[in-house]
Amino acid sequence: MRKQLLILPSIFFLLILLIFFYLLIIDRNPSELPSTLLNKNVPKFETESLLKEKKFVSSDVFGKEIKLVNFFATWCKPCRDEHNYIKRFSNQEGIEVIGINYKDNSQKAIGWLKELGNPYSNIAVDKNGRIAIDWGVYGIPETFIVNSKGIIKYRHVGPVTKKIYKKINLIINEIE
Amino acid sequence: MAPYLGNLSLWLSLFFAISQFFVSKKNKKSKFITISVIGLLISSLISFFLLMYSHVVSDFSVLNVFQNSHTTKPLLYKVSGTWGNHEGSMLLWILVLTIFNYFIFKLYNEKNSIFISKTLETQAFITAGFILFTVLTSNPFEIISPTQADGLGFNPILQDPALAIHPPLLYIGYVGFSAVFSISIATLALENNEKIPWHSYMKPFVVAAWTFLTIGIAFGAVWAYYELGWGGWWFWDPVENASFMPWLLGTALLHSLITVEKKKSLQSWVLLLSILAFLLSVVGTFLVRSGILTSVHTFALDPSRGIYILAFTAILGGYSLILFGLKSKKYLNNSYFSFFSKEGSILINNILMVVVCSSVFLGTIYPLLVEAFTNNKISVGEPYYNSTVVPIMIPAILIMGIGPILSWGKGDKSKTFKKIFPSVLLTAIITLFIFLFYQSYSLIGIVGIVLAFWIISNNVIILFQKRENLSNGMIVAHLGIGLLILGITGSSVWQEEKIIQMKVNNETNIKEYNIIFKEINEIKGPNYFALQGNFFVYDKNKNIITKLQPENRFYPVTNNFTTEVSIHTNLLRDLYMVLGEGNLNDGWIVRIYYNPLVIWIWIGALTIFLGGLISMNSNLKKLQRLS
Repeated sequence: MRKQLLILPSIFFLLILLIFFYLLIIDRNPSELPSTLLNKNVPKFETESLLKEKKFVSSDVFGKEIKLVNFFATWCKPCRDEHNYIKRFSNQEGIEVIGINYKDNSQKAIGWLKELGNPYSNIAVDKNGRIAIDWGVYGIPETFIVNSKGIIKYRHVGPVTKKIYKKINLIINEIE
Repeated sequence: MAPYLGNLSLWLSLFFAISQFFVSKKNKKSKFITISVIGLLISSLISFFLLMYSHVVSDFSVLNVFQNSHTTKPLLYKVSGTWGNHEGSMLLWILVLTIFNYFIFKLYNEKNSIFISKTLETQAFITAGFILFTVLTSNPFEIISPTQADGLGFNPILQDPALAIHPPLLYIGYVGFSAVFSISIATLALENNEKIPWHSYMKPFVVAAWTFLTIGIAFGAVWAYYELGWGGWWFWDPVENASFMPWLLGTALLHSLITVEKKKSLQSWVLLLSILAFLLSVVGTFLVRSGILTSVHTFALDPSRGIYILAFTAILGGYSLILFGLKSKKYLNNSYFSFFSKEGSILINNILMVVVCSSVFLGTIYPLLVEAFTNNKISVGEPYYNSTVVPIMIPAILIMGIGPILSWGKGDKSKTFKKIFPSVLLTAIITLFIFLFYQSYSLIGIVGIVLAFWIISNNVIILFQKRENLSNGMIVAHLGIGLLILGITGSSVWQEEKIIQMKVNNETNIKEYNIIFKEINEIKGPNYFALQGNFFVYDKNKNIITKLQPENRFYPVTNNFTTEVSIHTNLLRDLYMVLGEGNLNDGWIVRIYYNPLVIWIWIGALTIFLGGLISMNSNLKKLQRLS
């Protein structure tokens, strides 16, 4: 009996490999992470606003209507790629897009928005990435949906693509 | 020119690895083996140093240099930039493999030629697999045309001295387990009648791998602590777990090997552990570099790499574990252990280490399992690891204190109690004294302090008694673990954090210190600009303790901001300060941490490293006497 047990490690190993293989070949997106903040209130923070004279106070901004929160920076190439989709969101009625300018040079960011257009109704400056840590951001771009009660309903890691654009719209319709 | 030669040399090393694989099948030392082994070593040395050369002279015709370097980067980071990226790190990995390959080759003598040939065969297979992976999916010598004027720059967060030497140390650890793996395969493939003391061959490699893995992980922690600016040094990230799991199995292996040596028991168990330790290193690489998991440390991703490493792991694991299943019977024996003996304590150590390793493994792949079966995504974090790993470690450490002084076979309980009485007393006195003095009670804090001094006092007492039969390396390494626990306990239980907005001339307090924000200056570094805050720290009696100068750096090349923490260290605590964002009118956001006993983590790790080196030396001498 004991001798037969010696083959167990190889069987166990095989099972794990099969699972890894399955995960590699299925169409999955490791960047679609659940947020630990899902269904929780947005973290509170206060910082400068990029374009407004007034301070950016999270409790004043969130909790009225549905908000899309988009972490971006001028040095991030995928942010440029997704910018058109972010603009499309801002042109839709009933959605306000809040930008969080992550670890960036503010002057550059202003220039970048002038060049590409500004879809954001308000932009928080996160110069050292502290706000991103509170939101559990892995890497930018990341986009969150916050409902009218100021609760996070969805998180997407990586650029918004056509597929994700549709998905976010679906979720927003559901929430409404 | 250099990249072409480098590429050629890399292909040459693939050729030598394959030839070594076939030539060593002859089972004896021959001219061809010598040529293959030395050819492999030299060609991988050449390709490694040619890549380093391309980095140092900033040859931007090489894609790898273009993507990861810049002319303004300081020389140290141009050198370390060689292995600071996926492709270059594979080249370093290959180099370390061939160095270990050479050491195994040096062990040849008249009696062991079949055994060593078999080991070299497996080692050649592993090396060829990794070289093939590199040339097919991650060739560092790829050319970019037209040649670029300047590089994209190196992530500034990786520009840190601790991170420059962290990968080489870590790789010696991981790759050291490849030698252990090959020896284990050779042992299983041996015919019954050959009396080769395989454990004596295995031991120096296990000690080397474990020692360098320890110090490699420690430097990773140093980097996280000094560079990330989050106030901590371990985050249970998948990449950290990937190095911690082989370390745990290595720890188990290190101890059970002693039992094999003295009692000839646990042999099949040791063979299994040595296979698993290396397989876990490779699976860790797979998890980190295939993009199957997302982590803060993730390298550039490419799905074809994932498929390749997985296939390679399947071959290595499939072959070795099936061989184990078929051939390890002859190493089974049915001797039973007395619980209260040295081998009993080692067995418990092994069980606990494997349980911790399984828990970490489960935590790391659990999100993947859940996703594979239910399509839901979950994440496993620090709370899981703290509540699984810590409780299992407590009995392991308790036993670690008395294990070394127990005797082999059946021990005399009352005698043992007499032996440990002084350290029990010493631990109790020190703990009592500490808590009376600091008046800060927390259950986990008390447990941690008791365990730390339990280990420290046991080993200090053993050290003074100069017992002949205990190895110095072991005592020093165990002492290091005690110091490490002291540091871990202090910094995780009694850490204090303060986040505050400060203007120039404002002041604040943390613990017994008064901190005044004196001024803020713009300074210019070799490849960055920075805002540097100047903070004066005073103690209760208004004596100045230190000036802290945290910085907020901007690297124009990569367009990154980083924070440079400023730390004042003494034996009891670190004052750790991070300058956040702000301006002259509103002030700056400042984060201050009071981190007790952090330095003991580093001292502990260095002590363990020293103990490992001593033990490596004595094990090598033993092996020399053997041949």
